[in-house]
Amino acid sequence: MSHLRHLLPYMARYRWTLLAGLVCAVIGAAVSALGPYVLRLAVDDLGRSGIVTATLLRYSGLVIVVALADGVFKFLQRMLIAGVSYHVEYDLRAALFDRYLRLDQSFYGRNHTGDLMARATNDLSAVRQLLGPGLNGTATALLTFAAAAALMLAVNVTLALVVLLLMPLSTLIFVLVGGRMRALFTSVQDQFGNISTRAQENFSGIRTVKAYAQEEAELAVFTEDNRRYRELNLRYVLLSGALWPSMALCLGTVAALVLLVGGRLVAGGELTLGELVQFNAYLGLLTFPMIILGWMVSLYQQGAASMGRLNEVLHAHPMIVNPPAALPLPAPHGEVEYRGVGIRFDANEEPGGHRTSAEKVVAGDNPVPQPSTTRSAWMLRDISFTIPAGSSLAIVGATGAGKTTLVNLLARVRDPDEGQVLVDGIDVRRLDLADLRRAVGYVPQETFLFSVPLRENVAFGAPDASDEELERAVSISRLANDLEQFPDGIATMVGERGVTLSGGQKQRVAIARAVLSSPAILVLDDALSSVDTHTAAQILEGLREIMRNRTSIIIAQRIATVREANQIIVLHEGRIVERGTHAELLQANGRYAAMYRRELLEAELSE
Amino acid sequence: MSGTRFDDDVILGKAYDGRLVRRLAVFVAPYWRSLSLAVALLFGAAFTEIVPPLLVQQAIDGPISAGRIDGLWPIFGLYALVLLATFALRYGHNYLINSIGQSVMLDLRTHIFRHIQRMSLSFFDRNPVGRLLTRITNDVDALNEFLTQGLVLILADTVTLAGIIVVMFALNWRLALISLATLPVLAVVVAIYQRLMRATYRLVRQRLAKINAYLNEQIGGVLVTQLFRREAHSRAAFAGLSSEYVDANMRSLLIFSIFMPTVQVMAAIGTAALLWWGGQGVLAGWATLGTLTAFVLYTERAFQPIRNLAERYTILQAAMASAERIFGVLDTEEEVRDPEHPATLPQPVRGAITLENVVFGYDPAEPVLKGVSLHIPAGQAVAIVGATGAGKSSLVGLLARFYDVQQGRITLDGVDIRTLPQRELRRHIAAVPQDPVCFSGTIASNIRLHDDTIDDERVRWAAEMVNAAAFIERLPGGYAYEVRERGANLSIGQRQLLAFARALAFNPEVLLILDEATSSVDTATEALIQNALERLLKGRTSIVIAHRLSTIRHVDRIIVLHKGRVVEDGSHEALLARRGFYYRLYQLQFAEQSVTG
Repeated sequence: MSHLRHLLPYMARYRWTLLAGLVCAVIGAAVSALGPYVLRLAVDDLGRSGIVTATLLRYSGLVIVVALADGVFKFLQRMLIAGVSYHVEYDLRAALFDRYLRLDQSFYGRNHTGDLMARATNDLSAVRQLLGPGLNGTATALLTFAAAAALMLAVNVTLALVVLLLMPLSTLIFVLVGGRMRALFTSVQDQFGNISTRAQENFSGIRTVKAYAQEEAELAVFTEDNRRYRELNLRYVLLSGALWPSMALCLGTVAALVLLVGGRLVAGGELTLGELVQFNAYLGLLTFPMIILGWMVSLYQQGAASMGRLNEVLHAHPMIVNPPAALPLPAPHGEVEYRGVGIRFDANEEPGGHRTSAEKVVAGDNPVPQPSTTRSAWMLRDISFTIPAGSSLAIVGATGAGKTTLVNLLARVRDPDEGQVLVDGIDVRRLDLADLRRAVGYVPQETFLFSVPLRENVAFGAPDASDEELERAVSISRLANDLEQFPDGIATMVGERGVTLSGGQKQRVAIARAVLSSPAILVLDDALSSVDTHTAAQILEGLREIMRNRTSIIIAQRIATVREANQIIVLHEGRIVERGTHAELLQANGRYAAMYRRELLEAELSE
Repeated sequence: MSGTRFDDDVILGKAYDGRLVRRLAVFVAPYWRSLSLAVALLFGAAFTEIVPPLLVQQAIDGPISAGRIDGLWPIFGLYALVLLATFALRYGHNYLINSIGQSVMLDLRTHIFRHIQRMSLSFFDRNPVGRLLTRITNDVDALNEFLTQGLVLILADTVTLAGIIVVMFALNWRLALISLATLPVLAVVVAIYQRLMRATYRLVRQRLAKINAYLNEQIGGVLVTQLFRREAHSRAAFAGLSSEYVDANMRSLLIFSIFMPTVQVMAAIGTAALLWWGGQGVLAGWATLGTLTAFVLYTERAFQPIRNLAERYTILQAAMASAERIFGVLDTEEEVRDPEHPATLPQPVRGAITLENVVFGYDPAEPVLKGVSLHIPAGQAVAIVGATGAGKSSLVGLLARFYDVQQGRITLDGVDIRTLPQRELRRHIAAVPQDPVCFSGTIASNIRLHDDTIDDERVRWAAEMVNAAAFIERLPGGYAYEVRERGANLSIGQRQLLAFARALAFNPEVLLILDEATSSVDTATEALIQNALERLLKGRTSIVIAHRLSTIRHVDRIIVLHKGRVVEDGSHEALLARRGFYYRLYQLQFAEQSVTG
């Protein structure tokens, strides 16, 4: 459970508050143990003759005063300790988010979004529970137990031992039954996950289900899954149904024994009736703490496991970091050179490769990649080319040839496994990361839009852009026509609470976004694939204007998009197999020429 | 969408709605015997739980006061019996009520699922997957809580409270009045607490949902944030949401921290009152010390049912809201129904299709198809082209009877498709959807679905025919390769080939294909797809919604739809020669070549 060690620095920030909470807990526990003592005095006085009503009134007043004092300290204790738990949760959440923002794609390749979300929600909440109700409850329970134990032992050792030895049995029951319950509950939850997945697949694939008349068969499978779920649940209920009744049985037995043993002591004159009443009152006082302690064990186990999962993220080191003595790149010219670049497949990029959990993250701030233990195959090797500032390069090749990975090296989405990528003659790994990324404008294959107004999405890389600049970007990307369809034009909200954009519209936003950030190097990664051919031609025309004095790299499936480039390289089986201009490549009569002929043939065939 | 899961805030309303409860009763009715037993056990437990304070009173006023040491044994024996009985009754009840709950959930889930399976596609157009999923998961769970934790326990709490009050009055009416005086005040405190807590808790949930939605989006778009150097902005926005959440939590903490001690003080006031008046009673002789002790214990016990009310009330509210939504789904009538006396197709099925003056619109007021008449002879391959919104996809939906025509009729081999059972119709008319769907399972199970009559041989044959075999055999495990949820571990091109293999394996007489130009497929895969398509269409009545001109070269005939009407019909050459709509569409598609070439 050393995971929880990492929680200490977060708690240390609030050590004085926690200490104050603890002091309140000590006083509160002592005060609450006094309540039964007052009762005992009252009952014993009632047994004596000659008592006056004024005495009774005093005892009644004392009962209320004790309760009030107890209430005040419990209030303070809860506010202080549980309050800290919320602040620690805030700090942890901020640290987690900060880490998410720093980590690179190799991390995101290994970890599902769902899993990362679970860490920020369920795990964080489990840790907070441990600190809030956990710490608070444990303090109250242990201190109350100690205070009550001291007072009980002072009154009668025999009876005190009956209570002090038997009551913790209920905690033990809770821990034992609870542990077994959690194990069973996991299997119940897993089966629930199966049901949910099954239903989701059915609903989203309903056209296929209906087209092949699979409704009845789907229902049969769904029912079977539900049957299994019920069976697992019944097994769980067999155990969980016994939890509270057995706790009640255990606590009730203690009460009955106190009545028997204590009653005999009173009848034998070794104990006063008031003292018996005091013991009875302690039983009431200790019931809840005993249960809480049992619950604490599971809170502690869950909290420690969750903290372990949080640590995996908090201690994950990004491979892509700003170098120690970063070279600034204030005014990039845009010359790009790839020098003998090689990239290996990641374990998760290979077919059948499975994602590993975050705990395998290699620690290290060294930008030079370390040889991995399992040496995987090369995806790309011996890639060398130079793009003079202001000229263009097109990359063609089959799906999975590594085109996207290749351009990803430029803005250091990942680093090469061998060779160098240079911008303006400097290895990108030596450049200031922010400067480098400012120099590269990237239009990815799949555009990500945020749930903010469209304007903010377009101005994402240049929040201070003027209206004219914005308008120009919107017009070049041909987004202007789409704006008319949206209720609030460029102020329209995007996403779940706003409009949903088509694939083509999303790509146009991405182009506008890249154009507006005015980069020295523009990368179009299959950026026109969802745009219809007519609009694509218009966008290309507009971009040509922009690209005239910028370096550009274009990835495309269609020859029409790439033929104008200053250089074209063809990737095949991880290497550059052809390079040259459109005309040169046609003359070479290789793969590129074959692709071109296929496209022409397609067109001819349809005529 | 994983995003919606996090901000699905339940708006709570009524805690009891007789109409809804009566409808729910239908699902519980089959288990009424077990339910009666469960309720009986619970009532039994409520009674046995009242006994212990009485035994304490008996012991104090009897053997203890009298100094008879051995007189305590019978009381202890009785006490032990009562405890064991309580244990047995409670455990029995818990097990019974939960097993009933599980059975009712099973029935309800399959009932909803069956109903949803019968719905036509317009239902799925209106209801996003996430919403339907919530009905079948969370909403059903809420009803289970209602059954196991809600109604029955409220009843039991009431019985317990009533029992305590009766015993108190039987023991000593004056002390009873004193004890009960604090209960109404407590009820008021609980009511106020409930109201405050509900509002605050809703605030907490809303703010947490915001944080989670933001986080989910930020994780999805982290690369964009990094590349555009917006980390600081994101961090600040997140910190803002996060501190709003802390504020809401601190508010709920404050309310809770005040409430708990308040209840304790109320209990202490009750005890003090008992001590003050009861003490005088003991002195005056109208009360005993044993009775006084019993009353202290009873007052404590009477507090519990009242405190429970808060929790139970929320369960009831959530259940009513869920029931409302579930019945909302169950009350949706099937729009496409099987006829009562279904017709049969003449054997063998040939696959001739006729549309007679078909009118259809997703919204009947705005028809998409405005009187389409067509005859497609058996074995002919037809392409339907037209601009977006011309009604092409609707036509396919109607032929597969995903929707019903509003006017006119569609016949298969001369039989109106509405007179055929849907199962029968779809055995002969198969649609390959636009977005190729995969299910978690194996490659083989994705081709044969649940149809066991399609053996491994046929699966292989189908895969080979559509050029899917090559990639399948390269996968680890081949046909047994595990396909992840929604085919996440297959490329779009591979999914499309699988969808074709599925269509071929089922071997329908009529094939409907929605052909979406998949731009992210490379030229080599594209060639494979085109080749597969050609084999699929051969010798089969086929209707292809063509987005790619390359697809059109496999068909015998082209039909041009424009604004819901057939405007041109003929061969590729004939239509080009007419220089009409088709000619223009064709020109537009080739703009790429004309602009850049």
